[in-house]
Amino acid sequence: EAGVLELGSYPGPRMLSPERLALPDYEYLAQRHVLTYMEDAVCQLLENKEDISQYGVARFFTEYFNSVCQGTHILFREFSFIQATPHNRASFLRAFWKCFRTVGKNGDLLTMREYHCLLQLLCPDFPLELTQKAARIVLMDDAMDCLMSFSDFLFAFQIQFYYSEFLESVAAIYQDLLAGKNPNTVIVPTSSSGQHRQRPPLGEASLLEGVEASLFSQCLENLCDRHKYSCPPPALVKEVLSNVQRLTFYGFLVALSKHHGINQALGALPDKGDLMHDPAMDEELERLL
Amino acid sequence: MIPGKYRSVSGRAANNVNCGLHLVIQTSSLPEKSKVEFKLNKETPSFSGRLLQHDLERNYSSRQGDGRVISPSPRNKSSCISSTTNVTELCGLEMKTTMSSLSAFGDSSIQTPSKSRIRQGCHSAGPNVSGDHIHLASSSMPSFPILQRSSEEKILYSDRLTLERQKLTVCPIIDGEEHLRLLNFQHNFITRIQNISNLQRLIFLDLYDNQIEEISGLSTLRSLRVLLLGKNRIKRISNLENLKSLDVLDLHGNQITKIENVSHLCDLRVLNLARNLLSHVDNLSGLDSLTELNLRHNQITFVRDVDNLPCLQRLFLSFNNISTFESVCCLADSSSLSDITFDGNPIAQESWYKHTILQNMMQLRQLDMKRVTEEERRIASVVAKKEEEKKRESHKQSLLKEKKRLTINNVARKWDLQQNRIPNIAPNQDRKVSDSPQDPSQLHGSTVSAFPEETGSLDSGLNNTLQGLSVTDTHLVEVDGDTLSLYGSGALESLDRNWSVQTAGMVTTVSFTFIEFDEIVQVLPKLKIKFPNSLHLKFKETNLVMLQQFNALAQLRRVDQLTIDPQGNPVVNFTLWKYYVLFRLSHFSMQKINGTEVTQNDMIMAERLFGILAHVASSELPQYRLISILGDVRKKQFRYLLETKGKKPGLVNEENSDSKRLVGENTNRATLNYTTRDFYNERLEEIKEKKKFCKMYMEDLVKEATEINMKNEALQKLWPQMFIELVRDAVIEIRNKNSYMKLCLQQITDQK
Repeated sequence: EAGVLELGSYPGPRMLSPERLALPDYEYLAQRHVLTYMEDAVCQLLENKEDISQYGVARFFTEYFNSVCQGTHILFREFSFIQATPHNRASFLRAFWKCFRTVGKNGDLLTMREYHCLLQLLCPDFPLELTQKAARIVLMDDAMDCLMSFSDFLFAFQIQFYYSEFLESVAAIYQDLLAGKNPNTVIVPTSSSGQHRQRPPLGEASLLEGVEASLFSQCLENLCDRHKYSCPPPALVKEVLSNVQRLTFYGFLVALSKHHGINQALGALPDKGDLMHDPAMDEELERLL
Repeated sequence: MIPGKYRSVSGRAANNVNCGLHLVIQTSSLPEKSKVEFKLNKETPSFSGRLLQHDLERNYSSRQGDGRVISPSPRNKSSCISSTTNVTELCGLEMKTTMSSLSAFGDSSIQTPSKSRIRQGCHSAGPNVSGDHIHLASSSMPSFPILQRSSEEKILYSDRLTLERQKLTVCPIIDGEEHLRLLNFQHNFITRIQNISNLQRLIFLDLYDNQIEEISGLSTLRSLRVLLLGKNRIKRISNLENLKSLDVLDLHGNQITKIENVSHLCDLRVLNLARNLLSHVDNLSGLDSLTELNLRHNQITFVRDVDNLPCLQRLFLSFNNISTFESVCCLADSSSLSDITFDGNPIAQESWYKHTILQNMMQLRQLDMKRVTEEERRIASVVAKKEEEKKRESHKQSLLKEKKRLTINNVARKWDLQQNRIPNIAPNQDRKVSDSPQDPSQLHGSTVSAFPEETGSLDSGLNNTLQGLSVTDTHLVEVDGDTLSLYGSGALESLDRNWSVQTAGMVTTVSFTFIEFDEIVQVLPKLKIKFPNSLHLKFKETNLVMLQQFNALAQLRRVDQLTIDPQGNPVVNFTLWKYYVLFRLSHFSMQKINGTEVTQNDMIMAERLFGILAHVASSELPQYRLISILGDVRKKQFRYLLETKGKKPGLVNEENSDSKRLVGENTNRATLNYTTRDFYNERLEEIKEKKKFCKMYMEDLVKEATEINMKNEALQKLWPQMFIELVRDAVIEIRNKNSYMKLCLQQITDQK
């Protein structure tokens, strides 16, 4: 069954890849989220056991893992499941784009709350907090009643949703850097962190906004190395940070959300230029009208 | 023909002067009424009554009527004369006419104006008029003329003197006429009453049409009974203190603004204050003999004190500013009043005017100069009864309205409390808090039913336009015509009642106020059954915050109109909400949303925006999800969809679109449903439990599998060596063929 699970953004591990052999079986299955899906499949089976027993358990499992592969398994599911795996997250992002691309195409600018409502149409218990955080990336401040374009919101939301644990860690690091602490000493003490200890002179710090990009970059590299949740490709993070001297946390998030490469690496959404493009669905829509 | 009679009459009158100027006119030529009595006594109230009646009749014939109440104008003269041929008109003869006819004792022509002539400073009689026996001489005082009559005149008209139209600017000094009883100064220019204080036997004084500004100079005229001051410039009623015998007082056509200083006139029977500047009627006490009060053509807005006039029979209030019955309600308390006029007042324009007056004044015989018939009285009482009923009904209604208002206020307060106090907590818990006993509304019983109908048949009050079914302190249910209004969550329980088919059938609009939408969702199936004709749904203060909440409405039978009040429903602030409603409820073909007509373009736009969502929701959803989302009840309905789903995905395309058409356009959005927050949270809990179990189950399963796998792998590792060992052992065993054969044989025989 593991063979079925060649999951979207994940480079499909072969049966006898060294990675596979390096881990005990159970951990390997957990890390690759195979367990998550197997648990969920059983759970779904339990939920509808009468109906499923009528058309066959084997077919149910086939259908289940097919839908997982197609990314349709997250439709109208509870949030805890939707955010459970990177594949689920990517699938949700794609479903959201697919279903509401037309809203963007129509040119409507919506508020954070209205986008949240759209999200809730696909996931009834989607938390407001996440939507708010995504809106903050677009709006940069607390003017949360402002209108946003579909693409601005979607790309910001993608970063926030897909990398939410990573971003939380980044936020902690950023706060530490702002406060003048070297986060590496706090989180993971390494020998290399010592050379970055000099804090910027106080006067300068208060004049300049944000943190020094290179220092930040260093810290993030460390973070990516040891982070167990998904991170953006470290090379691309480095690239984002190499273009500037200093940057703020939201500046960083905006840069991430606008980065083509990161979007491509994530693999859920088309490029910004093609965002309104979905000929298959458009055809389907014409049929409906 | 007349004079003789006059003579006899007036002669008798003259005899009777001492005992109260009793005048009897005998008209034998008239069969209808052979005898008419003029009595200036209170014992004969008919006199002034008729007098005034005549006046009124004339008022109707001429606008100047009021001006002519007591004093006759020259053009009335002919009628005065001819009046002798007609009893009623004769009765209507004004006092003055009578008197002047008395003065014209024996004279065939009653051309009173020409009787006397006064020439200031001229001793000779005017040559132009024959029979002028009056001479005016300038007195010793330069300004006052002195009047003298010839002795012949004096004998002829011993007790009367007429100085009409003499262009007098002052009262002349009248010498040697102390016995005068009647004095006429009509149509002069007199500005001040003077020089008559010696005429102490004067009964009748006519100063009509002069320029008098103040009542004065009358204090000695104690026997005066008729005082005519019409058409002057008097501003106040004053200086009448000594005129205690006054019977007729005419002050019409002056500038009087209020009634005052008359309370001592206990013998006064006729008071004319028409064409003055009165704004109200008051201060009437003491006028114990007053039978007629003329107040026409003033600016009166209200009347008081009339019930203090024990003898008042006729009251003329025409052409004033009376607009309500309340402002003249004291009239209803007068038992003597029999004749009243209100024409020319705003009140007379009202539809209720006549029957209200008649109903409240049963004693009335004439209203606005017309006899009140029995029929009219009957109608009036019927109408009044109806009015009364109406009033009672409207009182009941207003009570109900007030109760409703209070209840709604209370519900609103509770709602606000709920919304603001613990905004983040689930509504259910919130409700429990507000239901706690310290809530004042609970103290006076939450189910105070306002009307007995509530407990009885619900149809009993159907004929009422407004049917109060139950008014309670925590919620309100109301059926008003075709609208069922529910206020407060408790009102939802009313859907459990046994509504009559009639009532239920009539209701086409259902309005929800101050109720959580999630609670409404739970009663929607009931609503669908109990009120099958409800086409218009209204929501106000119902916490509609999400688009998917509209999904819940899809289960209804039909919705033509939807009205979502922005108050308490933030969803209305969304750009897309209308389109989403149109999209999700497209099977209703809705006509109006929030009062705006739905156009074809709206429908197309709705499809454009959300059509893909529906497509994804229906065609991409795996079958096991479809089952769990649609639930058992709806599964049959969507069997088609399921069956096509079951087939190979590649083949479905054509069939799929066919089946979709068969099942109805709603099919592809049926998966877009709404689960109330509480229920959803419950389900999440359930899922959590199941997940826990599945996790454990999978853990065991995987552990077992990995163990097997591990053993398998270990076996795989060991096997080559094991195999070699096995082969080696076998080879060693069979190296010596003979001994091996022997061993084998031995084994066989042992077995046997």
